[in-house]
Amino acid sequence: MPLALSPTTVPVVVDDAKCIADKGCTVCVDVCPLDVLRISDLTGKAYMKFDECWYCMPCETDCPTGAVTVNIPYLLR
Amino acid sequence: MDNFVEGLTEVTCDVLVIGGGTAGPMAALKAKQKNPALNVVLLEKANVKRSGAISMGMDGLNNAVVPGYATPEQYTKEITIANDGIVDQAPVYKYASRCYEIIEELDRFGIRFQKNANGDFDLKKVHHLGTYVLPMPNGDTVKKALYRQLKRERILISNRFMATRLLTAREGRIAGAVAVNTRSAEFLVLRAKTVILCMGAAGRLGLPHSGYLFGTYENPTNSGDGYAMAYHAGAALANLECYQINPLIKDYNGPACAYVAGPFGAYTANSEGKRFIESDYWSGQMMQEFYNELQSGKGPVFLKLNHLHPDTVGEIEEILHKVERPSRGRFHEARGTDYREKMIEMHISEIGFCSGHSASGVFVDEFARTTVPGLYAAGDMASVPHNYMLGAFTNGAVAGEHAAEVAQEIDLPDYDPDFVRLERVRVLAPTRREDGIPPNQLEYKARRLVNDYLQPPKVTAKMQIGQARLADVREDFETALVVRNAHELMRALEVSSILDCADMAAHASLYRTESRWGLYHHRVDYPDKDDDNWFCHTLLSKVDGRMTSEKRAIQPYVVPIETEERSAYDRLRVLNQA
Amino acid sequence: MSAFDPFEDFGDAEEIAARLADADAAVRRLAVIDLAEAASADGLPHLLAAVSDSDESVRLQVAIALAEFGTVEAAAALATLVTDLDVAVARAAADGLAEVKDAGAAPVILPLAFDDNAFVRAAGFRGLKGLRSQAALGPALAAMKDESAEVRAEALGVIAYLKREETLPSLIAATRDAEAAVRAVAVNALSFSNQAAAAFAVTSALHDESWQVRAAAAESLGRIGHASAIDGLAVGLSDDYWEVRQKCLNALGRLKARTVVSEIAALLSSDLASLRKEAAAALGEIADPSSHAALMVHVSDADPDVRKTVRWALTRFV
Repeated sequence: MPLALSPTTVPVVVDDAKCIADKGCTVCVDVCPLDVLRISDLTGKAYMKFDECWYCMPCETDCPTGAVTVNIPYLLR
Repeated sequence: MDNFVEGLTEVTCDVLVIGGGTAGPMAALKAKQKNPALNVVLLEKANVKRSGAISMGMDGLNNAVVPGYATPEQYTKEITIANDGIVDQAPVYKYASRCYEIIEELDRFGIRFQKNANGDFDLKKVHHLGTYVLPMPNGDTVKKALYRQLKRERILISNRFMATRLLTAREGRIAGAVAVNTRSAEFLVLRAKTVILCMGAAGRLGLPHSGYLFGTYENPTNSGDGYAMAYHAGAALANLECYQINPLIKDYNGPACAYVAGPFGAYTANSEGKRFIESDYWSGQMMQEFYNELQSGKGPVFLKLNHLHPDTVGEIEEILHKVERPSRGRFHEARGTDYREKMIEMHISEIGFCSGHSASGVFVDEFARTTVPGLYAAGDMASVPHNYMLGAFTNGAVAGEHAAEVAQEIDLPDYDPDFVRLERVRVLAPTRREDGIPPNQLEYKARRLVNDYLQPPKVTAKMQIGQARLADVREDFETALVVRNAHELMRALEVSSILDCADMAAHASLYRTESRWGLYHHRVDYPDKDDDNWFCHTLLSKVDGRMTSEKRAIQPYVVPIETEERSAYDRLRVLNQA
Repeated sequence: MSAFDPFEDFGDAEEIAARLADADAAVRRLAVIDLAEAASADGLPHLLAAVSDSDESVRLQVAIALAEFGTVEAAAALATLVTDLDVAVARAAADGLAEVKDAGAAPVILPLAFDDNAFVRAAGFRGLKGLRSQAALGPALAAMKDESAEVRAEALGVIAYLKREETLPSLIAATRDAEAAVRAVAVNALSFSNQAAAAFAVTSALHDESWQVRAAAAESLGRIGHASAIDGLAVGLSDDYWEVRQKCLNALGRLKARTVVSEIAALLSSDLASLRKEAAAALGEIADPSSHAALMVHVSDADPDVRKTVRWALTRFV
């Protein structure tokens, strides 16, 4: 059986203008316990790749430039 | 990142600590301090910097036994009563005797506990008998401070490696572990003289009411991997039928933090705004009362703060929205709920195993030793009841010290290379398939079945159906699971732990044919407590490849409990069932 | 099949520090983060040098990083950054100073206490508090006349942490400070003393215009344990704020205030369950036979917490 794509809206949002992942920063990716963040090959900025969020906030708290915002996942909101 | 890489490395150490959350870093530190010549490795599935249950810190200690406020005897007594007497007191007493020294050490690490104007620890009285609550209004820096200590002590840290199975030597002694990288699927064989499991609760067992797989009460990385690994290595697990179920903020699924708000005058109320909890102790009995009220005409249940002065509420929010689960302020904001105006709806959590809050864990003695020689366990996954964060730190320290002592006396045990070969085949099987069922679907189904068939009130026939349905899911796991990258492989391996824990939950629950610990083990078809046959622990283990349960006598109490005190639990129980 | 190194590297300070010369501030900032994370003493000199970085975001990161080192040199650098013109940098440096644990850092922090800027003075005293430095006592006592309430509050902290009887006059004077927050700390701070003068001053604070100060005073009196406070606390049982009444009940229980048992028992009939519970708890602490009957009436109180507390209280009479 082939796999389908099921879209979901992800809770973690990154402000590309503030993100300095393209300068070598990996703080948010490192601190995520669920390991759901990645640096985009296209933009060089961090983004949420997997919708597996505990809305726990280290990514937002530890981001040195305040680029990350953690929202509550839609199903819980 | 996330693409499969063929790789295998073998490393050797003296003490291997698996899990870098709370107990793990302390175990590693203490092992190294005990003997700085030892090679100590700390293995972590995420990154030690922010992993585990206290990723964003903790808002306070619930069980601080501080001289002048409570005694180890008093504490041991209360824990015994709260667990309906089913307690080996030696590890509890050991914890109670040592935890103050650990608080002082954490204070030196820079972890901030609340102090009064004179700079002394500011304990809050919540219970009648002893005073155990020490707030941590700035407790968000716990992990940072621990990480700094680990670096200073030159502990070898291996992040993003998920342990899958323990290695044992021929005579059954522990020999190390096998792990897989969560971003490349490379294999790591860690040989060790002693191994300490600090892998947290089985908190991803039941499905939260929201249906969101990761919206669990516990950090969802705590998927019961330690329970599963200990089981497969032959260790005994104690009282797994004594589930963890906690009161929480509905949908947000975070703790209501009665321990934070309680001393300020907040409480749990029914829809009439009235208190209803009779139980004196945080226990399954308390949860049963909570459950009953939820189901009653006076339900649901709420956290009530709207009678407090707005300044007081502000002070509480300052703590709750910064520490432990800080996104809850955002949750309330989006809902338009304000503690000052309305009561906040509460609910009960999905089921799990967690000795931090209840009593279900890998069986350990007062040295944190499991029943497998050389294997230790500490924190939420070890059987010391109600030990919370401070218990994880303290028992982690106990484990680290003892494991270091043993490691310096023995040679590195051999392991069976064939076991590693077969483990690679098992782990990588879903990477070899082109097509099949992805781990998220398998997980949803398994956990939905846990809710439908295993959560209390427990019914024999339902649990048996659950076992059969879960066996089907396991077969799908073994024959049809497909993963496309290393990240999905990690999730798949977590599902394997979830399935193991679900089987253990059903097996242990069916074995104890009585009701005990309030809601935690409420068996509808065995509604009464049966002290004559069941005033004992149950131990579950793998014998000749099969899941087996047996009774184990409770060790003679270190701190005697008067009959009248013991019946305190029952008295409350009778009152509420009226 | 390839082999790999599974361990985090400890970071070579020199290698990381080379990035501190980069033209891009973001790169320098990341180097600071890496130096802090390596937690090695080799990194410290490089961080100290970065204190004068031209970019405020780098200095901010340096302030955060130095807080993790906590040594005397780090404290000295933080003392410099507290005077930074950038507010965020100065705040982070002030927070960092509060984390310093090495008592040897007192001499480098002390000069801040005499700075022209109130924020800097407050940060200085805040840093000195945890060090329990005797040398800070004189300046702290003098600062109790500071025009800034924030400075007075922090200086008061320094005095309170030292817990010395000879500072009582200053602490007592602070219970009459113009700022409620300072008064609240002062009444709390006096709880280390068992002197009648302390009890008297805190009892007077039961009439403070701020309910938070009155509540803090009641709590403090429970800890001081001086019987002279009993009558004042009994008056506090009719305070306008239930929070204050509750703290007074608690304190009277701790003081074993037999003489006012009937006033306490009167609150067993309060509309507020929290007060009924606290009254029952106090009567249990005191366990005077005269209150037994009043407690018996509430064995079946409508509120379970009150019932539980009454049951507990009654066990104290045997």
